[in-house]
Parts: sequence; C-alpha cells; structure tokens
Amino acid sequence: MLPSLGAVCLSLFSLFSAIRARSSTGDSVLVLLQPNLSRDNFTIFFDNLEKQGYDLTFRAPKAETPRIIEDDVPGFNHIILFAPDSKNFAQDVTPQSLVTALNAGTNLIVALSPKQTPIFTLASEFSLILPPPGTPLISHFPARDTPPGVIPVSVPPVHPFLTPNTPPIWFSGIPFAHGNNPLLVPILHAPAESFASDTDSDASADVVFDYAERGGEGLWAGSSLGIVTGFQTRDSARITWVGGLELFSDEYANKPLPSGDKSGNAQFARDVAAWTFHEKLVLRIDSTTHHLVNETEPREHYTINENIAFEAHISRYDPESGWAPYSGLHDLQVDFTMLDPHIRTALLPVSDEPGLYRASFRLPDRHGVFKFVLDYRRRGWTSLQSSTTVPVVPPRHDGYPRFLSAAWPYYTGAISTSVGFLLFATLWLAGDDKGVKKGKSAKTE
Amino acid sequence: MPKAYPLPTDLSPATVANTASLVRIVAFAFISGAAIASRLFAVINFESIIHEFDPWFNYRATRVLASKGFYEFWNWFDPTAWYPLGRVVGGTIYPGLMATSGVIYNLLHSLHLPVDIRNVCVLLAPGFSALTAWATYMFTKEMKDESAGLLAAAFIGIVPGYISRSVAGSYDNEAIAIFLLMFTFFLWIKAMKQGSALYGTLAAVFYFYMVAAWGGYAFITNMIPLHALALTLMGRFTNRLYVGYSSWYAIGTLASMQVPFVGFQPVRTSEHMGALGVFGLLQIVAFVELVRSHVSSKQFQQLLFSGVIAAGILGTLAIVGLTYNGSIAPWTGRFYSLWDTGYAKKYIPIIASVSEHQPTAWPSFFMDLHFLIFLFPAGVVLCFKQLRDEHVFVIIYALVASYFAGVMVRLMLTLTPIVCVSAAVALSSVFDTYIDPTEPEVSDGDKVDASKKDKSAATPASGASVVGLLTEMVTSGPSTTKKAKPTQRGIFGLDTRAAVIVNALGMLLFFVMHCTWVTSVAYSSPSVVLASHNQDGLQLIDDFREAYYWLRQNTPKDAVVMSWWDYGYQIAGMADRPTLVDNNTWNNTHIATVGKAMSSSEEVAYPILRKHDVDYVLVIFGGMIGYSGDDINKFLWMVRIAQGVWPDEIQEPRYFTPQGDYRVDDQASPTMKNSLMYKLSYYRFPELFGGGHAQDRVRGQMIAKPGPSLDYLDEAFTSENWIVRIYQVKKDDPLGRDLKSANAFDQGKKRKRTRPPVRRRSLA
Repeated sequence: MLPSLGAVCLSLFSLFSAIRARSSTGDSVLVLLQPNLSRDNFTIFFDNLEKQGYDLTFRAPKAETPRIIEDDVPGFNHIILFAPDSKNFAQDVTPQSLVTALNAGTNLIVALSPKQTPIFTLASEFSLILPPPGTPLISHFPARDTPPGVIPVSVPPVHPFLTPNTPPIWFSGIPFAHGNNPLLVPILHAPAESFASDTDSDASADVVFDYAERGGEGLWAGSSLGIVTGFQTRDSARITWVGGLELFSDEYANKPLPSGDKSGNAQFARDVAAWTFHEKLVLRIDSTTHHLVNETEPREHYTINENIAFEAHISRYDPESGWAPYSGLHDLQVDFTMLDPHIRTALLPVSDEPGLYRASFRLPDRHGVFKFVLDYRRRGWTSLQSSTTVPVVPPRHDGYPRFLSAAWPYYTGAISTSVGFLLFATLWLAGDDKGVKKGKSAKTE
Repeated sequence: MPKAYPLPTDLSPATVANTASLVRIVAFAFISGAAIASRLFAVINFESIIHEFDPWFNYRATRVLASKGFYEFWNWFDPTAWYPLGRVVGGTIYPGLMATSGVIYNLLHSLHLPVDIRNVCVLLAPGFSALTAWATYMFTKEMKDESAGLLAAAFIGIVPGYISRSVAGSYDNEAIAIFLLMFTFFLWIKAMKQGSALYGTLAAVFYFYMVAAWGGYAFITNMIPLHALALTLMGRFTNRLYVGYSSWYAIGTLASMQVPFVGFQPVRTSEHMGALGVFGLLQIVAFVELVRSHVSSKQFQQLLFSGVIAAGILGTLAIVGLTYNGSIAPWTGRFYSLWDTGYAKKYIPIIASVSEHQPTAWPSFFMDLHFLIFLFPAGVVLCFKQLRDEHVFVIIYALVASYFAGVMVRLMLTLTPIVCVSAAVALSSVFDTYIDPTEPEVSDGDKVDASKKDKSAATPASGASVVGLLTEMVTSGPSTTKKAKPTQRGIFGLDTRAAVIVNALGMLLFFVMHCTWVTSVAYSSPSVVLASHNQDGLQLIDDFREAYYWLRQNTPKDAVVMSWWDYGYQIAGMADRPTLVDNNTWNNTHIATVGKAMSSSEEVAYPILRKHDVDYVLVIFGGMIGYSGDDINKFLWMVRIAQGVWPDEIQEPRYFTPQGDYRVDDQASPTMKNSLMYKLSYYRFPELFGGGHAQDRVRGQMIAKPGPSLDYLDEAFTSENWIVRIYQVKKDDPLGRDLKSANAFDQGKKRKRTRPPVRRRSLA
C-alpha cells in the first residue's frame, strides 16, 4: 500500500514539476558539493539555475540522504557533482550507481580535478582518456599575469547550443583526450598551445620537448583535447564532464580577461547546464503510424508491392513554451528492414502540417516480418528511435489476377478438350449400333 | 467324408451366413474398441495433452482453422515463425489433418456438442485407428477372405508399429494418413480387379485426401504405377487394369495439384515421373493390344512390340532430357538418402540430425511388430502361391516397404500395414487348415502309410513353430486345389489340431500382452511431460510447460525466442512467442544461423542475436536430472549444420579433445568451452553443488569449478529440474561500450589506463 501511495505521490509530483519545469525532464537537481566549498563560491551559477526554475538540493558527498537512487527509482532529475577532490563518498554514490542513475534518465554535470578519485576513474567508461593524476593543463599563451594553469579559452563562435560570440572563459583543470565513441559531444577544446604537465615550472620543459621530438605522440596536448565534453547515452540521458570546477565559480565569472573584457564563464556555464539538463536540442517522436497510400488507418499487415505511407509526428522542446511540433529536420530517414534494409528513403516534413513527416514507397516484392526503423542521431541532439513491426504477406488466394492473357494456350487446350469430349460422347451415344462390337476396344483408347 | 469333430448339419446356409455376419460385426466392434482403448494410455497415464513437437504446430493450425474459417487458414501468414522471414502456412502444409479436425469440430458444434478443439485433436488419432482397422479388413478381404480380414484388422488395431504414431495426443499427419493409405490401396485393388472407373475415381478421391494429408503420399504415387508396371511386364495387361489406372492417374493427379503445397510437383519432379511414365506406357500397350486384336500377322506383332520398346526408351530419354533441361526437378536429397544411408550425414546433416531418420535397429522390428514379423514372410510366400493380380501388389508392397523400413525408423509405419495383412493371411491359413474338420480319406494300405508319413511330418513341425508348419504346408501343395480333389492330404484327429491351434492362440495372447505393454510403457509418453520412476513411485517432470508458461506470462508478446529448431513448434504452441526456427525445416541457412550462434563464442554470437532481434535464448539441459535428449547431446548437429554453411568459421573437429573425445569436463577443448551452447548449459551449474563435484548426470563427467561466465546474456529463468534454461539477451550498452567491459565495470573491475589515440603518423 505504502509504495503504491509513494508512486502516486511521485507521479503527481513529477506531473506537477513537468508543468512548470524549464527542463524537458524535470527540475529537481541534487548538488553534491565537496566540504571545503560552499554554495557561496558558485552563487552566480546556482542562482542562475534557481532563477530558471530549478529546485536545488545540496548535499555533502558523505551525507547519507537524500539518496541518488531510492528503491531503484532515481530521486532527482539532474545531478551536479561538484566534488572532484573527494575520495570518499556515501554508500549510494559509486561510479556504478551514477551510471545506473544515468541509464534511468538522470542528467549529470561532473567536475574533475587532477586528483585521482573514484569519479576520476569513472571518466574512462565514457571514452574519455584522462592524463595521469596530478597533471593539470597549462599554457603559456597568451601572455598574462595569471599562473600558467589558469588559462583563457576562447569559445567556438559557431556551436549547436552555445550562445554565439561568448567571450573567452577562464579555465583551470585537466584536459582529456576523446576516444572514438560516437556518443561523445565535444563542447570546448583545449587551446592549441596548451598541454598537460605535472609541473608548471619551465625547468621540466624537457619532457615536453622530448614529446615534441616524437611528434607529440602520447602527450596530452593540443586542440584535439577536450576540457568540457558532453556525452549522450543511447537513451539520450546527458552527462557533461568538466575538466575544472573553477569554471563555474564566481571568481572566474568576475575575473576580467587579459584583454580587459568580461569573461564568458557565467554564460558558458549556463549554456552547458541548459544542454545537459535537456533544455536544448531535445526532440521526441510523438507517434508513428503507417497506412496504405489511399487510406488513413493502419492495417494489421500489408501485401507485397502495395504502396504505403509511413508518418511520424516529431516535437521539439522549447524551455519557454514547452513541447511544440517541429518541422525543421530535413535529413530524417526511414528504413524498411528485414535483416537488412530493403528500402531506405527520406522522411520529409509535410509542408502544411507542422511536426508531421511522411515517406511513401512501394513495398518490396518479398514477404516477411519487416520493421520501419527510424534512427536519427546527430551530435548534441537527443536521438530519435522508433521501430514498428509489420508483417508483409503474399497476396491472398483470390488476390492474384484471375485470367492471364499469357495462359490462353492452356485455356484453349482445356476448352477444346472439353468440347471434343462432349462431341465424342454425343456421337457415341447418338450414333448407330454398327460399332457395338468394337465398343470395348474403342473405349479403352 | 471323415470328420475330426462333428458339425451341426441342420443349419440353413442363410442362418450360417447371418450368424457369421453378426459375429463379424461384433468382432469388429471389439477390434475398434481395443484399438481406441489401447491408445488412451497416454491420456490416462498423463493427461489430455498434445504430444511431442509437430503435433503442436498442427494443433495451433487447427485452432486457427476452427476459429477463423478455412479461407483465413488458407491465407494464413504466420509472422511468428521463422522470424523475421515468416511462414506462408497455407502454402507450406498438408492441410488434410487440420481440415479433418475442423470438419469434425464444426459437425459436433452444429449438433450442439460443445467439444473443445483440443479434445478433437487429441482423440483424432485413436478414432482414425478404428477406421484403419476397417480399411485393412477390406483390403485383406480382397487378398483372402473375411476371417483373414478380421485378423488383419485386429493386428493393425493394436500393433505397436502403428500405435507409436497414433496414440491419443499424437496429433500428426500419420494419424489419418495410414487409414487413407490402406483405403486408397483397397480402392485401387477393387478398381484393378473390376476394371471399374467408379472405384478408380474413388481411389483418386482418397488419393487426393492422402496428398492433402501427408507427404508420404509419394509412396502411393509410386506403389500403384509399380504394381501396374509389374502386371504389364508379367503379361497380365488387361483392359480392367487400363481403366483402373487411367481413371486413378488422371483424376488423382489433377486433384493432387489442387493442394497448394504440392502445386505443379506431379508434373515437374522426378518422384512423380514414374506414375506419368506408366500412364504413357499403358496407353501404348493398350493401343498395341487394340491393333493386335485387328491384325493377326505374327511378324507385325513383333514389329509393334519392338515399337513399344522403342517408344518406352524414347519416353525415358525424354524425361531424362527434360530433367537435364531443368523442366523436371531432379531427385531431392531426401530421396537420395533413401538409397544411401550415409548420404544425408554427408550432404544434408539437417535430415540426418532427426532421430527418426536413422536406420532402423533390428530389435525395433520385434518391438514394433512382435511375432507378425515372423509370419510376414510366410504370408508373402502364400501370396506367391496364388499370385492373383492383387497378390502381386502385396508382394511389391512388402518388398519396397521392407527396404524403406530398414533405411529409416519412421518408415516402419508404412511397413506395418502390409506386415499385418501378410501375417493375417498366413495365420488365417493356419486356422483354416487346422480348424477344418475334414480328414483325409483312408482307402488302402499304401495311402495309410502315406498319410501316416504326412502326419509324422506334420506333428513335429507343429511342435517346433508355426513358421515351420507354414513352410511345410506351403510346400506340400496348393491348398485351393485340395477341396476339388478327394482329400489326399490333411490332418488326422483332434490332438494335432489342438496342439497347433493352442500354440497359435498362445502366440496371439503373447502378442496382445506385448502390444499392451509396449503401448503403455514406450509409446504413450507425451515427451512434453516426462515421467520418472523412483522409490516414491511415478514422478512427473513438467519442466517444459513450466518454462513455456513462464515465457508466456513474463515476456512481451513480441519477444523473439531463439532455440534449436526441435523446440520451435512447442514454443509457438505453448509459449505463443515468435521463434527463429522450428520443426518445419525448410530453410537450412536460417537453421545454420542458429547453429552458428550456438556454436560460436559470445562475442561472435551477439551480433547475430541482435540482428535477428532475439530477446531470449532457450536451451535444454539434462545434466542436472539425467535427461539425455538435451542440447549438448544434439550440439554436434548444430556444429555440423553450421559448418555446412560457414566452413571457414565453424569446424567440427575443434569441438573435440585432442584425443578425439566429445567431452564437457575440464578436458573439453577451448572452442567447446567458449561456445554459447556450453556456456548457457553450464552457467552456474557448479554452484549448485556447493563445494562438491559438479557432475553432469547425462555424460557422467565433472564440470570444472569456476563455471562459465556470461557477458552478453543474462540468466532469466531456469526450470525446477534445470531442463529448460532461458537467457535474456542484453541490449546494447547505453554508454556505447562493449558488454564485456560494461560487465567488468559493473563488477567493479578497474580498467587499464590508456594513452590518447594516435591521430597522425609519427614524424620519425
């Protein structure tokens, strides 16, 4: 009784939260803040989130409650893990439980530091290749009055979800190389002249020089490294790895750039949180259906070579107004698959119906159990997946053409034989009795 | 004329005839009762359940037929079979059985008898066994007389060779096919004897029914032409034969082509060419006969006969030419395997892997036919003695069926009826001879000596065996001519008669006991429910249904289950889930795909499973309880079948130890230990024994201690006695890792550190 009541409350709660949420998945956020930091270090970031409508809950890494996962159900829609230096966590915070929460749809922002912690090792599960512990990113360019570990990084001007023309941001922390996992969404790369090193004194620059001699192989250096990288699981849950916690801090947000301009940290942090918490680039398939070209209702099965249409309704989430039909996708495809795709065709938006996409095609000349497979994956966007099974059957016994012109020789044969038989029988029965004796032998012919 | 015992003389012939007829009817009622009753062991010992494998499909198809009507059934496309290929059921089955049940079901319902379709299916085979007994009676009556017919009916009613395929619940094509076989043969004999187009047409109609009911119709298709050909070659061509054969062939062939599964096969495949050839030959012979009746020149006749031979050769050449040309399909592999028992194993392992396609072992002849197998040759010899046209048929049937029964276990079924017929002819001859009260006449001294000699020759023989007696009787002269002449040979006194008859009755008694015992012990097991005897008595092992119902209750309706093809029909019937392959083994490649998945390592099998949308993998494992028909014992066939399609990837020798043994313990080869089948069978098996030795009770071997581990599948269900084990196929890892490392992460194992990937070539 109690669990069901709890489930009802939970669903009511989520319903309620869905109404006013800014994120498409809900607005409860758990912030794990390591003990030596306080909320006051990140007021700009957190206040910004609360202003957006998020409901923040703070918890120390070692505190027992509130739990990440309660009774196999994630307790929060999003988790911000700002505890890069904590080596010990409460029972419920393990790499495995974080992955479980992620798989259950919870979004995460995880900050890293050069220290080796359980979270540090978790990164490798996401195809991020971290430098050895204690080797932060340093760069001596551009000339500035900060230590080499505090680097201004310019934000790419064109990016799917970052605000255009964000000023450069301050960064200090570690870089990571990207594995070849297509689920990775690089957000911010390290500057080209930066590298990871265990010291920031120039005395040990020989190591870097040695690497440079070998073509840089094996060195965490250059612009192919990421410092802020997103990852979207197959189920579209998002996790963002940030190389340094200070990126979100008030200090960096207020720190002027070498050029004297205001840094872009606040805006960048906001954009990263917006993407991670499913505010941006969120699509969903509302429904799919299929029917014969001239009909509207789906059939239980189709006959080979029929012309059918496949339709999908797709919506996009907008943080201001919620879900709305979206016709902006022009590279959607639908496969008609049995073991291998038999037909792969473009699923194009229908001009006067928002959110509706339609593809019509002739079914292959092959019976079997086919699937309409819609699998749309673009970096940064939530993936669209749908699979609809439909049997394609051969024509019914009365579904074939009844008379074929090619069969006329056979029709003629049958008709002439029948006519001949009738004639013979008539003549035989009506003929005179002369041939009675021969009757037997004639009959056997 | 002396009599051994007095007979009443004041009975009118009409009374005798009526009484005999009544006795026959009563006897026949008892025979039917016995035939049906002995098939009910399965229901009494277990329950009213569909047996084995194929019947489950027939049952499922019948349910579709009963609920949706015949046209929907005809057009039924089953999307759950052979996933994702689907099966056009209407065009790939013999619908006779389902149509029969459907008719009975609708008939009963129109009489307001609300019988469940399952009970119709379960009891169809026993019901038809009574009809088979009747058809055999009619057939044997044509061979000898009514008494032989009754004996044959009694034999076929309870002989284990037929019961094995027709117990209650054994809802298979053979259940009605044997009746149709015997009845078609009876009608053919009638048509041939009387030259009746009506009987020929009736034979064709029942031939059509047979074609619609069982793939074994090819036996009739070749037996009747063989008979006609033999008669023609023996110079026994008559117009009666011509009329009978022509009406049967023309109508029967046209009718058989109406069955969608058969289609144009009767004019396009080699198996049917014999019938066509004989049809053509008979036309030529009839023409020649006609000409001969008009022309008396002997030389002209010879010319004509050479013309006949030339035409025959030309016809054969034409058929061969068409075969090469491709218009006529060549012999199929299944046909070759009938002549070379090693052929199937080499080229079509899928056929050889079926246990009922193995050559018959000698004991099973006795097991299935008991003393009939000894009387069988005697009956054939008796047929030789009279050698009327119909006896030629029995002789050919006996020869052909004996050969086929030796090649394949399942063809024992076609041998059984003719054994019953011949044995009945033989035994009834014995009874005729020894019950007949007439004694040989004794006129003078010489004849006394002669008859005494006869007697002394007969008596020891009777003590020896019935077979000895029969041979003696057969060689002693034609029995039909005996009555015409004054009786020269015969039996004196009651003692000899009593000795032989009591002996023969004893044989019959033992036969009945044997049949009852075999039926109750060996042939009544549904093989869906197993029985085991222990000190507590009979124990039922119901793992199959337990597991199938688990699937039915706990998995989504469209969850695809992969198993070896043996269990396809059962999963479809009992669990109602799509299967990859089933007992309708039409697509060797698809079966080989399953074989490959089962015999490969997890990493290789996983993409195959995912490509086919497999959600669950079901294996049968008998090592826990000692059930020897499990998948590990069938495993080599999976390997062989997969090897036939992917010889580079799957190789049978790799599954043996270096010594060439097939082992599952710690000496098993690495390929064997890594194969999916091995892992699924023995996953967590050693844990069951705690610290003790994990012994596989089927193979009697110890399983090595840390049992196999699984990364790509999860154990979902294991039945009570571990016979059925079901595994769930994991979905792709959400983080895009391979499942092996995902599993390692879940178990808390540390990953090895890596360096950044090299994106460009080193300058050095």
